[in-house]
Amino acid sequence: MPSSPSSAGPNLSVVKESAESSRTRDPAGRGDRTLDWSICMARAQEGDREAYRRLLEEIAPYLRSLAARLIQNRGDIEDAVQDALLSVHAVRHTYDPMRPFGPWLVAIARRRFVDGLRRRGRAASRETALEAEHETFAAPEANFQEAASDGRAVREALEGLPPGQREAIRMLKLEEMSLKEAAAASGMSVAALKVATHRGLKSLRKVFGRQGTQT
Amino acid sequence: MITTPDLIESLVARAEPVRRLRPPLARAAAWLLFAGLMLVLMVAIKGLRPDLGLSLRQPGFAIDVAAALATGILAAVAAFIVSLPDRSRLWLWLPVPALLVWIVNVGHSCLTAWVDIQPGMHLGDETGCVAALVMTGAPLALTLLIMLRHTALFDPTPVAIAGGLAVAGITASLLPLFHNHDASVLILVWNLGIAALLTAAAGAFGRRMFTWVAPR
Repeated sequence: MPSSPSSAGPNLSVVKESAESSRTRDPAGRGDRTLDWSICMARAQEGDREAYRRLLEEIAPYLRSLAARLIQNRGDIEDAVQDALLSVHAVRHTYDPMRPFGPWLVAIARRRFVDGLRRRGRAASRETALEAEHETFAAPEANFQEAASDGRAVREALEGLPPGQREAIRMLKLEEMSLKEAAAASGMSVAALKVATHRGLKSLRKVFGRQGTQT
Repeated sequence: MITTPDLIESLVARAEPVRRLRPPLARAAAWLLFAGLMLVLMVAIKGLRPDLGLSLRQPGFAIDVAAALATGILAAVAAFIVSLPDRSRLWLWLPVPALLVWIVNVGHSCLTAWVDIQPGMHLGDETGCVAALVMTGAPLALTLLIMLRHTALFDPTPVAIAGGLAVAGITASLLPLFHNHDASVLILVWNLGIAALLTAAAGAFGRRMFTWVAPR
């Protein structure tokens, strides 16, 4: 890409350097530099891509410093700069080369930055950042493996079920077989398996519900 | 996320020549010319009210039409100027004197000719009036919205308010020319009310409307 210094030819980099050195860092965006920008924008409006690239590459750091003054979150600054660049591109036909470039650019950039802050403020009021402690369920018992699946109690409760229901639950729920596989293995029909599972789960629920009220 | 140098490259790749906007005064004049064409069209369709000359001789009515027209023209000029990012927001005050004259005139007419309001409105006549209002106002508002769409990306609400006032002023000054009512105070109040409503709506929904037609 021609913009990256490594791929640019030596001639180009020499030209670029001399152009850079002739320009002073002017944080207020006035003076020679904006005159230069004004000319670049006028050419860009006529379709001069080289002038446009130079303009965008030069205003990007300026926009970044402007954004840094308004926006605290460093991650959002680059977003804001890109938003401003996109807006400058979308409304570049509104720039009048007879007028200074600085106020035009700053007016657009400021508006985009403030809009961005508002948008992020709205999003922040609705959303909560996901942190490590949010990764488990909120209910305390869900976070203890032992308590959540007390294997022995389940096995004992299963023993108490009629054989048909017991087999159905074992195959479909514990071994996670599909209905077809379970039907083939047990010789029961799919409908009978479904009924048996349903009834089995219902009586298990009853058993554990009783235990829960007793303890 | 795309990096800024990559974004710049993609913008440069899309940098077709663009036509610069004409000066705001010229653009406002173009829009007002369109409003004039609407007037001619309305006259061709509906015809002027027969007693127009007589009504215009009543000072309340004449001032109303003139003040509404001035408000509309000045608000349009203000909207076109303020729609540019680097112009002063103080231009928004431009239509205010004409608007004040308009409001004071309506208030004055209300006080001096209160009796005129009594005869009441005829619903049938008023629906025709609303239809005419929509027929004139809608094309004007839509044209203005499209002509000012670049403002969506910076500060649409003040521009929308000025634009709403422009449409309201122009429409309010055109409509009395077709009303087949006498120049009662009611019409003046009605016009100002519509103007207030339109401007308020523009202020409330302007941002959304402009975002809808925004350049991308």
